[in-house]
Amino acid sequence: MTALWRIFRLILREQPTALWRGAALSCVVLLMGAALLGLSGWFITAAAAAGLAGMGAVFDVFRPSAMVRFLALGRAAARYGERVLTHDATLRALESLRVRLLAGLVVAPYPRMLRIRGAQALNRLTADIDVLDGVALRLVLPVMAGLMTQALVFAVIWALIGGAVALWILAGYVLGGAVIFVQATRKTARLSRRAEAAAQAFRSRLIDLIRGRRDLAVQGRLLAQSDFALEADRRRRALQGQQDHAERLTGAALQMLGTLIAGGTLWLGITMVQAGNLAPSLAALGFFTTLALAETIAPLRRAASDLGRMAEAARRVSRDIAVPLPTTAPAAATGGPLQIQAVALQRPLSKIPVLNGLSFEARSGEAVALTGPSGSGKSTLLLSIAGLHPVAAGRITLDGLPISDWDEPSLRSVVALLPQRSALMSGTVADTLRLAAPNSDDETLWQVLEAVQLVEVLQARAGLNTAIGAGGEGLSGGEARRLVLARVLLRRPQVLLLDEPTEGLDEATARAVLAGMRRFLPDAAVVIAAHRLVEASFADRTVSLI
Amino acid sequence: MVHQPRSGEDNSNAISARDWLTPGRKCQQRAAVFAVLASLLWPAQAGLVAFALGGLLTGADVSPVWVACGFIALGAVRAVLGVRSESLAETAAQRVVHAARADIVSHEARRASDSPFGGAGSISALASEKLDHLTAYITRYASARARVMVVPMVIFALAVWFSWAVALIFLVSGPLIPVFMALVGMAAKEASQRQMAEIGTLNDLLVERLSALVDIRLLGANKTVLEGFSAQAGDFRKRTMAVLRVAFLSSTVLELFAAIGVAMVAVYVGFSLLGALDFGTWGDPMSPQVGLFLLLLAPEFYQPLRDLAAAWHDKASADAVFAELSEWSGAETASLLGQGGSASPLVGPASVSLRGCVLPGGAVLDDIDVMSGEKVALMGASGTGKTTVLRMIAGLRAPVSGRVMVAGQPLDNTTADPWRARIGWMPQAPHFLNASLRHNLTLGRGKDPAQALELAAVSQVVAALPQGLNTRLGETGGGLSGGEARRITLARAIHGAPDVILADEPTADLDADTAAAVTRGLLAQADRGATLIVATHDSNLAAKMDRTIWIGGRS
Repeated sequence: MTALWRIFRLILREQPTALWRGAALSCVVLLMGAALLGLSGWFITAAAAAGLAGMGAVFDVFRPSAMVRFLALGRAAARYGERVLTHDATLRALESLRVRLLAGLVVAPYPRMLRIRGAQALNRLTADIDVLDGVALRLVLPVMAGLMTQALVFAVIWALIGGAVALWILAGYVLGGAVIFVQATRKTARLSRRAEAAAQAFRSRLIDLIRGRRDLAVQGRLLAQSDFALEADRRRRALQGQQDHAERLTGAALQMLGTLIAGGTLWLGITMVQAGNLAPSLAALGFFTTLALAETIAPLRRAASDLGRMAEAARRVSRDIAVPLPTTAPAAATGGPLQIQAVALQRPLSKIPVLNGLSFEARSGEAVALTGPSGSGKSTLLLSIAGLHPVAAGRITLDGLPISDWDEPSLRSVVALLPQRSALMSGTVADTLRLAAPNSDDETLWQVLEAVQLVEVLQARAGLNTAIGAGGEGLSGGEARRLVLARVLLRRPQVLLLDEPTEGLDEATARAVLAGMRRFLPDAAVVIAAHRLVEASFADRTVSLI
Repeated sequence: MVHQPRSGEDNSNAISARDWLTPGRKCQQRAAVFAVLASLLWPAQAGLVAFALGGLLTGADVSPVWVACGFIALGAVRAVLGVRSESLAETAAQRVVHAARADIVSHEARRASDSPFGGAGSISALASEKLDHLTAYITRYASARARVMVVPMVIFALAVWFSWAVALIFLVSGPLIPVFMALVGMAAKEASQRQMAEIGTLNDLLVERLSALVDIRLLGANKTVLEGFSAQAGDFRKRTMAVLRVAFLSSTVLELFAAIGVAMVAVYVGFSLLGALDFGTWGDPMSPQVGLFLLLLAPEFYQPLRDLAAAWHDKASADAVFAELSEWSGAETASLLGQGGSASPLVGPASVSLRGCVLPGGAVLDDIDVMSGEKVALMGASGTGKTTVLRMIAGLRAPVSGRVMVAGQPLDNTTADPWRARIGWMPQAPHFLNASLRHNLTLGRGKDPAQALELAAVSQVVAALPQGLNTRLGETGGGLSGGEARRITLARAIHGAPDVILADEPTADLDADTAAAVTRGLLAQADRGATLIVATHDSNLAAKMDRTIWIGGRS
């Protein structure tokens, strides 16, 4: 609930004027609706009374009927304005929420970033934001506008008809509505959480079924996995059924509340007329106004049923949105050495110790190869140097300053890491490269492509405009590897960390690429996690991690 | 389960949509009947109110208790009918959605390769969130459409009975609404299609950026990427607003038409009651009761049309889902042999022979014979079909032509499952299920995986995991190194002592020590008597086999 409130405050802070105006307009719409029906009822009844009394000729028909026309047209116009205003404001707020979410994830701790990979998490993040558009549009604004309308109508009815009728209407709608809303959310919040979990289970089991189709078939588990996925959907269906049932009851309760209050007003009105305390036309006014006020509680049904989902989405989203980073003065790079001093490490996502007491130094212009069997901690060490993974003991310093004390932008400008697996986004070759250095001219791009031996390959296609599909589609494994290496080189770092840089390249190309890399960055200190002889033999020194 | 016709190109959109809706049709029709009945109770309530308020003017004897109770009782019946209708409509929606899901699951389980429609992400998005859009269509749009067919007609008939002038007002203003809606609908449809396409693009963009988070951060490209995304998101908002403006405008115009209609009825009734107008009724001047009744009916004449317009968006998104469903069902692939269920092992020697098999690429394969207990390496340049041959032996895909014989019998839909019960399978890139490591190793075949882990030289790695066998691994083995994940796959393949082992590139990308450990593990199985077939580039591994079969010629 606090998360929900936090998201609403964020939305409000983004678009305060538009939302306040929207709230005022929604209130105007409700008021005009109540006035329209009330006035029409009064007008007809009063006209009938005048007609029966033979006073038809002197009855003022023009002012009330002009008022009716004004209210009818004004209400439609106000509703249009209110909808455009609040939707536009909400969409703007959600847009900035999306951007902030992405901004928050880009600086999230590394282990969390690893878990974010995978289509499921991605779907959640897009769907969650979509759910949140209801916070302002379907929850807060309608409730506020409804309350304001009730308060104003209360005063008017008190003045025109009397305290008893006014109190009956206000108490009925506000108290009754509140009771129904609270009852409804108590049930549905829990149900919607469980239904959501079942839907997630279905999705993940279906993904397993599709991705692991062959493995499952050979192991004779394909049918079982299908049943397993459908079982999750059956569970979701049962929970959804209960949820729908609760929502229907809420809807019926709200409808009955409106009928009950209108029936009560009718009864009070007739009694007062028969006692001679009220004109029939005013009794009609009270009854019709009460009918129109049902519109103030109608949005509660949707609000109550969506509340659970919105609260969950708000909780997840508010965890990830960006906290503005403190901006510190960037540390000046002096070209000092990278020093690893008695470092011990643990694997990411576990407590398994890998390295212990490792020390070495890499100076400007020097290349160091890390060797050791898979699992010996080569990649983890590179992550630590790049500031993405904490050291368990010892120190890693650059220019004499521990890596953990560097601020993010400065560290990124002096240290660049080519991870084992890199993702390519769709776009052209130039787009891909300019991601690393937005201001590079074409000549620089061709230089770096020359260094990684991609010039011929690309010249045979569309040059820098060669299109790359999602996930690097259209490039072979080796080409993609060289392109992401080129991207890292464009950062022109002081310390270059390469994790198995020549994976997927034949030996001659691998050697040429490493030599090209050195020509492009003659002064960088290079640390290579080497798993091939060609990488280890390129280096000036090797450090064995066993 | 639905079995809609899948006739390929001529599978038109409309036919598909109707077929997908079949499982809920009955409930949907009954829901519509109840929705109409509930709406038709309003004239009764209106009559009661008109009788009471009119009676107050004419001095008739009106009992406040009876009027209030009658009004509330009719309201209660209306609420009950409404609940019943919604309940039926929701049942219909659940049936349709569940049947479509079951259909997607069962078809995806039969495919031999990924659907051209898209990967696991897009199919699961279709089967989960997108199918849910059909619910709103079935519950809201369908019921509004049913009411539009009946309710305005009934109210029109009631109006004709009391006053031809009021009926005339309805007759003139009513049909204008659908005409106008059709015009707006055409404009809105185009805007909406543009926006739907944009939703897809924006989500794909976000998905791409989210899967490249680490790279973006390492390249210091946060600002560039965020600015680019922000511009795209801004465009998306503008398009969405364009669609919404059209939708809001159309409902505003509807509301105006309705308001003008009601106002005209009110003015006519008001002047008639004052005695200023004396036409429009069938003889007698209008009584207050009739006047109030007609006024109460007027808004209800327009209400179903307004509901239908409000639910228009549901129809548009349902149409988009139907289009995707028909695209999905049109995307045909080859099927697996058998069903992939558990079966008792096929009887016969653990031998394999391929006779005159043609690969999907068109290459003709030399005949292959592997005897029971033999160790065979399949070698050849990349792309010649080593992996495909292993898949054909496992019945995961059928050759274009030719025969695969296993245990002396032809491999077909009936023998595939029993044959696979004898196979240990070690794919090149394993997919780890979203379950514990124990489940991933044993896959429900109850025995303790300790022995297999020992043979694959991976026991210590598992013991060092924070939760041991209960650890949940990432999809591609995140949390383990590449070599460790490979040895886990080996342990999975040899768990349960199968007598045929098929391994695809078991030592690729491994350092020498790990490759040796994996090779030892495989050879131990052969020593036990199992038939071993490995597809490999690794000449060290191939040298340890009895013989090498070259696929696509010796390179």
